[in-house]
Amino acid sequence: MTTTDFADLHDDLRAVAGDMLARGRLVDWPAMIGAGWVGLEVADALGGAGATFAEVAVVCEELGRAAAATHYLGSAVLAVGLLNTLQDSVVGNELLSGVTAGPTRAAAVLGDRGCFTLSADRRLTGRAEFVPDADGADRLLVLATDHTGTEVAVVADDLTVTPQPVLDETRAVAAVAADGIEVAEPLRFADLRGAQTVRDRAALAVACDSLGLAEAMLAATVSYAQTRQQFGRAIGSFQAVKHACADMQVKVSVARALVREAVAAVVAVVAGGPEDADAAVAMAKSYTCGAAVDVVGKAMQLHGGIGYTWESGIHVYLKRAVFNRSLFGSPAAHRQHLAQRY
Amino acid sequence: MTPTSDFRAQVRQWCRENVPVDWRRTQTGVGEREFVDFQRRWFATLHSAGFAVPHWPREWGGGMSVADQAVLYQELAAHDAPRLVLAFVGIHHAAATLLAAGTDEQRRRHLPAILDGEIWVQGFSEPEAGSDLASLRTTARRVGDDYVVNGQKLWASGASYAQWCLLLARTDPDAPKRKGISYFLLDMATPGVQVRPIRNAVGDQHFCEIFLDDVVIPAANLIGAENAGWQVAQATLGAERGMTMLELAERLGCAGFRWLVQAAPTDDPVVADRLAQLETEITGLRAMCRRLVRDVEAGTAGPADASIVKLFYSELLQRLTDFGTEIGGLAAHTALAKPLSSGWESGSWVLDFIGSWEWTIPGGSSEIQRTIIGERGLGLPREPSAP
Repeated sequence: MTTTDFADLHDDLRAVAGDMLARGRLVDWPAMIGAGWVGLEVADALGGAGATFAEVAVVCEELGRAAAATHYLGSAVLAVGLLNTLQDSVVGNELLSGVTAGPTRAAAVLGDRGCFTLSADRRLTGRAEFVPDADGADRLLVLATDHTGTEVAVVADDLTVTPQPVLDETRAVAAVAADGIEVAEPLRFADLRGAQTVRDRAALAVACDSLGLAEAMLAATVSYAQTRQQFGRAIGSFQAVKHACADMQVKVSVARALVREAVAAVVAVVAGGPEDADAAVAMAKSYTCGAAVDVVGKAMQLHGGIGYTWESGIHVYLKRAVFNRSLFGSPAAHRQHLAQRY
Repeated sequence: MTPTSDFRAQVRQWCRENVPVDWRRTQTGVGEREFVDFQRRWFATLHSAGFAVPHWPREWGGGMSVADQAVLYQELAAHDAPRLVLAFVGIHHAAATLLAAGTDEQRRRHLPAILDGEIWVQGFSEPEAGSDLASLRTTARRVGDDYVVNGQKLWASGASYAQWCLLLARTDPDAPKRKGISYFLLDMATPGVQVRPIRNAVGDQHFCEIFLDDVVIPAANLIGAENAGWQVAQATLGAERGMTMLELAERLGCAGFRWLVQAAPTDDPVVADRLAQLETEITGLRAMCRRLVRDVEAGTAGPADASIVKLFYSELLQRLTDFGTEIGGLAAHTALAKPLSSGWESGSWVLDFIGSWEWTIPGGSSEIQRTIIGERGLGLPREPSAP
């Protein structure tokens, strides 16, 4: 495909996603499968669309824009992404075609490095918290460190999954624990950077989500500032409001630029390029997820009392933005990672 | 010992004996009834010690010196006492209005009742009159010895529990906006008054809409002169600002900051730097509040001093709770309820952060406060059609 083809594809994807998500915040899993979004990155031969992370990123942005409640993050972005970075295997391919066709839903359990260990006799031990979409998943893929210190992936069915209710009601997260359970032969990464690539994808997917929700809040605020009248004029005619909207726009523009760079870097890494996407992802994640909280906060402020009501729904975006900021690495953690390069 | 340090020791002793043990835990996740009962009990406890309305004149049950009031609020904050939430409008706005513009009869009717637990609500804002309050549309038409009121009020905090309402309504539709408004005391049990709670961003329902449909208010419940309501409201709206801001600043500096430090990884130099910055800002706020209280008493407060304090407090609260949310990480999101009757920094950081917009939006939004500071404080030219 040429660049133009991709741009067209992205626009189509965005339009379809927008239409579908406009019907309601809660999108059930069969609808996601039916739309072909779960298998976007799955190879054609396994029933998928053979697309790249760039297309997945578009879906993530749209889900953020709609503050949609779906299993896309844990069960498509991370589960499919993890499977794609593993060495070719029958188990892996079966899972990929299974989740693409549905109704099987998998979820990836990433955690911090070392939070799950796999002993030489294949016993899995560990615990991870706030794992997206683990509750109710048919199969769980756990990132674990084996007895040689190598990161591997394990398909495990006897994990203890405990839902963790959070203020952001659009996300389903759970604690996942294993206490020496016996598991099948682990799946190995195709290259050394595999596990890091999966973590980069997780952080960047959340950044895309925050970018989408920030754009939604900017658009809603501009529209409100054009119609709401006080002192006999649209409030957007006051510099206090106008300049605040301009600052939101600047933040969104910078975030979009950083996200675009990071998405290109991750796509290049997956395609086997020499570059490392870590720094680009750390910048996109730390800036975008921080800026999104500021943008949504300003949206609430500029909507006045209405913005503070439950009914306006801005609180949904604020809770999601704040949750995103901490999910898969806080801005401070990502900046510390960046600073290690100095 | 000076009289004030004597008093401080006395308040400390009282707090140790009277602040309910473990109230934060027992008031987390409770229903409306428990909250109201708890508020009533705490008000009565404070009142029996002479601590509920120290700012009122002596003849009505107050009479504490401003210096001692400051000590009282410092110690209540230091001992993490519950806050008075339900009684707030009654003991501050209603009392200030009655004392400044009420008749003797109105004062005798209401001030003792407030001490007995009469709850008040403020009926000022409307759907189309928020920042631009003077454009309010609720009308009051004189009919014989009564006024007949029609309209709708918004953001009336605590209206579901209130027995009385401070109401602004338009009595002269032809006069310039601020010259046709009158101030009424409305009995919430009057036929035609309907209250509908509005769920807010943190999920609770203390804000309400009040619908007024041919509501009859006796002319005796007009407060101040007809069409002089705007001046009465302006004179009494900020009356409580100094001391209540001092209390809030103390709470931010005591429990609020303490929890933040407890939760923070202080060995991280970046975190330590942020904490030191916040502590400095809180210290500045507390000093500013102590100064404001003295200046208000001496009549030397500047025209924008209260706005400076309100703006700085509300945005500092937002920064502090944002930082609490940040260092609390994902675990902070599992705190689904906060202790009722607590301050604006309860330690349930995500809810506190979202709740901080309840400070930057109402009571004159941050945008309005900046305009006031620029225009009234600094004498800059006015914005076209600004307040």
